[in-house]
Amino acid sequence: MKITLILLLLCSLWPAAADAQNPTREITDPTGRSVTLPATPRRVVSLAPGITEIIFALEREDILLGTTQFSNYPPAAQKITRIGSYVHPDLERIVALRPDLVLATRDGNPRRVIERLEALQIPVFAIDPRNLAEIKASLSALGTVLNAEAQAAALVADMETRLARLRQLTARIEHRPLVFFQVDAAPMVSVGEETFLHELIILAGGRNAAAGGPAYPRFGWEQILTLQPEVTIITSMAGGQSPEELRRAWEQWPQLKAVQNGRVHVVDADLFDRPTHRLLDGLEILARLIQPQIMAPVPAAAEPER
Amino acid sequence: MPVPLPSLLKTMLLLILLSGALLLVAVFFGLATGSSGLNPGELWTLIFRREQADPVTAAIIWQIRLPRVVLAAAAGATLALGGLVFQALLRNPLAEPYILGISGGAAVGALLGMMVGFASFPGVSLLAFAGSMATLLLVLSLAGGRHAPGKDTLLLGGVMMNAFCGALIMLLLALADNTRLRHALFWLMGDLSQIGREQLPLLLLLLPAMALVLLLARPLNLLLLGRESAAAMGVNVRAVSLTLLAVTSFMVGIVVSQAGLIGFVGLVVPHVFRLLVGPDHRLLIPACLLGGAAYLIACDLIARVLPAGEMPVGIVTALIGAPLFIFLLWKARP
Repeated sequence: MKITLILLLLCSLWPAAADAQNPTREITDPTGRSVTLPATPRRVVSLAPGITEIIFALEREDILLGTTQFSNYPPAAQKITRIGSYVHPDLERIVALRPDLVLATRDGNPRRVIERLEALQIPVFAIDPRNLAEIKASLSALGTVLNAEAQAAALVADMETRLARLRQLTARIEHRPLVFFQVDAAPMVSVGEETFLHELIILAGGRNAAAGGPAYPRFGWEQILTLQPEVTIITSMAGGQSPEELRRAWEQWPQLKAVQNGRVHVVDADLFDRPTHRLLDGLEILARLIQPQIMAPVPAAAEPER
Repeated sequence: MPVPLPSLLKTMLLLILLSGALLLVAVFFGLATGSSGLNPGELWTLIFRREQADPVTAAIIWQIRLPRVVLAAAAGATLALGGLVFQALLRNPLAEPYILGISGGAAVGALLGMMVGFASFPGVSLLAFAGSMATLLLVLSLAGGRHAPGKDTLLLGGVMMNAFCGALIMLLLALADNTRLRHALFWLMGDLSQIGREQLPLLLLLLPAMALVLLLARPLNLLLLGRESAAAMGVNVRAVSLTLLAVTSFMVGIVVSQAGLIGFVGLVVPHVFRLLVGPDHRLLIPACLLGGAAYLIACDLIARVLPAGEMPVGIVTALIGAPLFIFLLWKARP
């Protein structure tokens, strides 16, 4: 105890790490925090798989030193050093990489880790995208921070073109089917109006069966039989089950319209969980499943193989 | 029965030297290793040639590992001491530091704080502490009355309070959304990774409490003979028991509010030392303080260098503690 107290006294005198050569600038991040970060970041750590995807899309993977456990896209991301998981990042591993910038997300990353990184004088730029407009804004913001404005603008422009085309295609639909979007299997969880998945369902030409409730409402079969969804979308990995198991759970209920019409589909969770430009791939898959007749001009993407 | 004083002092000195050395070794490895690697050499540079040290390694050792080691030491010492005191007062070998409902109350407070979206320090810590003190007061007033607290009422009251809080915890977890749920689960399993330097001064509150328990070692020994005998030998049974219950619970409340629920330390450490040095609390208290600190630092070291990534220290203490306890039982069978 005595020794540790002496060490404690010593460490309170210790100056924190700082990079003197690199000029800094002050930017307000999308969560409203003012961050002083290097004008040219050279050592970046990403605290979410989605942020890692964006860094690769912005072609700044050369300065990406560390990322989280499940950062699997693009395949090259699997070679980046891991710093723990998205919900439980390992502070020591992050600091050991000597980052001059950490990119975080407000939803998911523990606030405590962000506070402690700041206490260690490591700038943390956080994003908090909750809908497509905010995803575009966070792409632009990350483009600015990583000095990749042109790439960010191109990504945003591509998102806008694809969105406009989809809006045009769905403008003349007559029937919007009732869609049940299942993100977890045990307990069964769907998505409410506050989520971007709700926004995707509407854009894809459907109605959200779980609208009007909390963000992630729980459901039982009794409610589902009463709701009678016409289309069911299940994200893969829900409850750790295989796509076949997930579909079979629904097929036990032949009374359901979605089951009778063979409209229970399993989709790749990674395309729907992560608030990035790739959500447009997810959106187009969703539109193809919800409004197959209008989606012929858009190229098909496969269901997950696993 | 009473051991002659010179021989006691000799044993005490030996015991303190041994467990103190154990603690020093644990502190050294706690500071020299971590998830980013092993660097005993750098620790040496940091202490003796500060101007040559690398600032990032310095930050890792002083600002990430040191607070963890200090918290682990404080929590280990407190939980071991808490277990020792409760096992003596309630004369029940299964008594542990959370027996009076502190763990349940703290968990309810902490989860409420997490759900409202408070910062982990001071918001969540404060609510956890408030929760543990509320359940403690409830259980003590239930069992206290005008007499010395009855041990069965205390035990049953505490167990029921924890069970009720357990139901509240399940309710809160069922209402929580996914990401908050995962943070809460880490807290419930005992997690030392959240501590920062600004929380450390709070732990100084534990020192006077530890000293007070140490001073009460002799009456605690007499209480082991039974209440009537202790009273006959001049012990104010009610005052001593209430003081010990309140002081140790206060200490455990502080630790729980900072580190979450860490099980088995308060069970395993006192039993190991009882087997080694016998039932004299003048030896057991310092041994549990030093040994408990060393034990939890070592468990946390395992928790943070596991190749699968960091995990809550409570998992490690339970994985080691339960089999160890069974082994002790097996050795102690008649």
